[in-house]
Amino acid sequence: MSIGGRRAQLEGLAFVAPFLLLYAVILIYPLVAGVVISFHRADLFGARTFVGLENYGRLIGDPVFHQALINTFKLTILIVPPLTAITLVLALALNKRSRSAAFFRGLFFSSSVLSVTIVTLIWRFILTPDAGLVAEVLEAVGREPIPFLSDPDLTIPALAVTTVWWSLGLPMMLFLAGLQQIPEEIYEAAALDRAGRWTTFWRVTLPSLRRTMLLVIMLQTAAQLQLFGQAQLLTAGGPSGASRPVVLLIYEMSFARWELGYATAAAEVLFMLVLTVTLIQYMTASRRWEG
Amino acid sequence: MSLGAWIGVGIGAAIMAAPLLWTLLLSLKANAELMRDSGAAFSAPYTLENYRSILQGSSLVQWLLNSVIVSGGTTLGVLTLCSLAGYAFARLEFPFRRTLFAFVLLGLAIPEQAVILPQHQLFAQLGLHNSYPGLILPGLVGPFGVFFMTQYFKAIPKELDEAAMLDGASRFTLFWKVLLPLTLPAQATLGVFTFLASWNSYWWPLISATRSEMFTLTVGLASAQMNYAQTSGLGFLMAQAVFASLPILIVYIIFQKQIVRAMAGASVR
Amino acid sequence: MASLELINIQKTYGATAVLDDVSLRMEPREFVAFLGPSGSGKSTLLRIIAGLETLDSGEVRLEGRPIQQLAPGDRGVAMVFQHYALYPHMTVWENMAFGLRNARMPKDEIASRIAEAARVLEIEEHLDKKPGQMSGGQRQRVAIGRAIVKQPKLFLLDEPLSNLDAALRMRTRLELAQLRHRVDAAVIMVTHDQAEAMTLADRIVVIHDHKIQQAGPPMEIYSRPANSFVARFVGSPAMTLAPVQLLPAESPFASVRLGDGSEVETRVPRSGLPAEGALELGLRPESVRVAPAGAASTVARVELVERLGDRTFVYARLSDGLSITAEDEGNSRVRMGETVGLRIDGTDAHLFAPDGAGYHAAPAA
Ligand SMILES: Nc1ncnc2c1ncn2[C@@H]1O[C@H](COP(=O)(O)OP(=O)(O)O)[C@@H](O)[C@H]1O
Ligand SMILES: [Mg+2]
Repeated sequence: MSIGGRRAQLEGLAFVAPFLLLYAVILIYPLVAGVVISFHRADLFGARTFVGLENYGRLIGDPVFHQALINTFKLTILIVPPLTAITLVLALALNKRSRSAAFFRGLFFSSSVLSVTIVTLIWRFILTPDAGLVAEVLEAVGREPIPFLSDPDLTIPALAVTTVWWSLGLPMMLFLAGLQQIPEEIYEAAALDRAGRWTTFWRVTLPSLRRTMLLVIMLQTAAQLQLFGQAQLLTAGGPSGASRPVVLLIYEMSFARWELGYATAAAEVLFMLVLTVTLIQYMTASRRWEG
Repeated sequence: MSLGAWIGVGIGAAIMAAPLLWTLLLSLKANAELMRDSGAAFSAPYTLENYRSILQGSSLVQWLLNSVIVSGGTTLGVLTLCSLAGYAFARLEFPFRRTLFAFVLLGLAIPEQAVILPQHQLFAQLGLHNSYPGLILPGLVGPFGVFFMTQYFKAIPKELDEAAMLDGASRFTLFWKVLLPLTLPAQATLGVFTFLASWNSYWWPLISATRSEMFTLTVGLASAQMNYAQTSGLGFLMAQAVFASLPILIVYIIFQKQIVRAMAGASVR
Repeated sequence: MASLELINIQKTYGATAVLDDVSLRMEPREFVAFLGPSGSGKSTLLRIIAGLETLDSGEVRLEGRPIQQLAPGDRGVAMVFQHYALYPHMTVWENMAFGLRNARMPKDEIASRIAEAARVLEIEEHLDKKPGQMSGGQRQRVAIGRAIVKQPKLFLLDEPLSNLDAALRMRTRLELAQLRHRVDAAVIMVTHDQAEAMTLADRIVVIHDHKIQQAGPPMEIYSRPANSFVARFVGSPAMTLAPVQLLPAESPFASVRLGDGSEVETRVPRSGLPAEGALELGLRPESVRVAPAGAASTVARVELVERLGDRTFVYARLSDGLSITAEDEGNSRVRMGETVGLRIDGTDAHLFAPDGAGYHAAPAA
């Protein structure tokens, strides 16, 4: 509105100032400070020496960091594709107006509202070999319990299963929203063209959902690359780092080893990694659609 | 839906629900009995003993209170800040409006792990750790709320502002009596979403609240399960999980629509 | 004292001029319609009067007092918005009370004004409803009511009927006509619908190309259009404009020849016409009648026949390609593709100079 003059201009600033001040101090300043700290040898208590790129150099040669990166990728790959597939199937099955469909949607979404500590608490006593639900079931059919949380080959799959169980809700809802947006006429046209159920799915439904699919994959990839709480609480990254993702390593670097500069450098690398992967996904997808 | 699909959904639902039911059953069993055999969870006798212990003097009640204060405070703060900023970005002319808005949107790309360590240092310098402001403040700066409220204010027809101006409303009356009431649905959505996110937030309270009496429920439960060996038993632990999820499940059941809409909105942004 | 005075109003948005040197003077209780094509700046002018838009230069006076520095709420004007702009979360009563409360009017005065307006507008039983529970027509009345209770010196209506369906529009038009006699205020109504302007207004202000093209009573706008734009914009079907040659003659009135060779004797005095340049002849459909071969002055090929029941409009093309609109009886036998005779009556014909200026038959003495 062009009415009001100088006073209105100041009023506008006054309305946004509270948020902007907090935003600058609590989010933007730390973002910049993080970059600065990563060029220092710094501890949690404020001591700092400038070391240039040393922290980044160390990361390149650090086998522990490499292992954490690999673990992170493994987790992401074990989580994102199954999660996408399962939630797509759920959305297709539950895209109905019936009461029972609503009930199941509510059920599959319910785990998403739980905090990570509750989720891990629940899953610890599903998976633990001495008192867990899985062990009980195995025992009932006469099998040995499986040490999901201590066998180095099983910890990452166990974290993946827990995470998938926890994360079903949102992607399912996104797919449902995507399905709602497909115009009914397309299906009617497909039916007039005598398309069968599979043809309709592959040629009509799936292509119409590709934006949603990209969104789900991008969001979940970014989320799982930053997986933290489940690993910290369920396996503590163990045994001997076999299930330690990068964010847990960052946490340990700063709060167990007090190497804040080093931890911050790792955080910046991960930040860049997340940005890069997300951008690559986005650009690959858009190029394919144009082609 | 075809029979096959129903069976598939049924099996999925069973897998989905089994952990929840298992937790509920364990929480209703006496610890001593579970010590001998956790399979006892499938059979009577059941008891509310574990819940009684929680209410009698475990730290859980304090943590619950902390969570209510922190999540409530965060929600109030976010709604206030975002309504003010959203209104201004949508309706008022002021210097650098576009630039500032772009500057806020930039924040949507910043993940927690890129800022949390310097934040921790900053709050240490300000002496804010182990305090309610220390737990609340970082939850107030998410740009999503500003973006969300700005979009909502923008969607309100400008004719309404103009009608109010012709009705002699001051800027404050216009904001408070005309526009703000119209954003109530958005306030509900953003509020529920913020409350949920704050209630479940883990990493920040984990490193900021180091004294047990300042733990939120989420962090408190983490400490309880890490000390599992020393706790008073499986049944009690699971009762804590149920107790801690109850408030949020109740919120979920009441505000299901808003939560789903907000989470979808927050991710589509 | 004049009601509203606009003096040399100038308005641009960035580089685009919207209003260029607009001046207007309204009589007390006058009902003026701003008529013009969409995008011509009608709303902008209205909003400048309301104070919702700044002006670059010029002055707005209401009952002698300059008001351009005043806030919209302090100007003594009330506006009815195109989409009503009712406050959705307030009841009808609260909607009408809002402005009065902001003006700190005593409670009983507020109540009595609203009661009176509700009675006049027949919305008494809806006072406790929210706008969302009402039909479009009812909302329209509430919007009018909200303006009435303020007892403004000037009502501003921006396309008030454009959101109503055809039947409701006719009824509301009638009600607006009655309403204006009940209120002691001047009214400006913006519209792009000439029928609306013609029925309701004391004076029509035709706006186009950043300027007021003509301001005058409806019949004057229709029968003595100031220029070729007004001539074509007002009247439906539109006036036919034909390039013509002025014929030399003794008569004090201009005679012209159309492109197909036929000649028309107008009643436009020859004396005022410009000496130079090509003229255009303006013919309303009622001046061009379908006629049998003997009585016809020219022939044309019929391209479209529009039957309205009581009369018929015939869109045709002369031999030189000129499109011309003619009128015929309601039971006309004319068909598409036929060639028909036309009789052109020059009594009410208009002439337009190259700059667009209109020349008309001398008013009957
Ligand atoms: N806020 C604005 N910014 C830029 N141009 C505008 C603005 N409002 C109106 N205009 C332009 O001014 C002209 C007049 O608009 P308006 O007064 O709404 O016309 P009308 O009501 O006659 O249809 C139009 O060309 C429109 O594009
Ligand atoms: Mg307009």
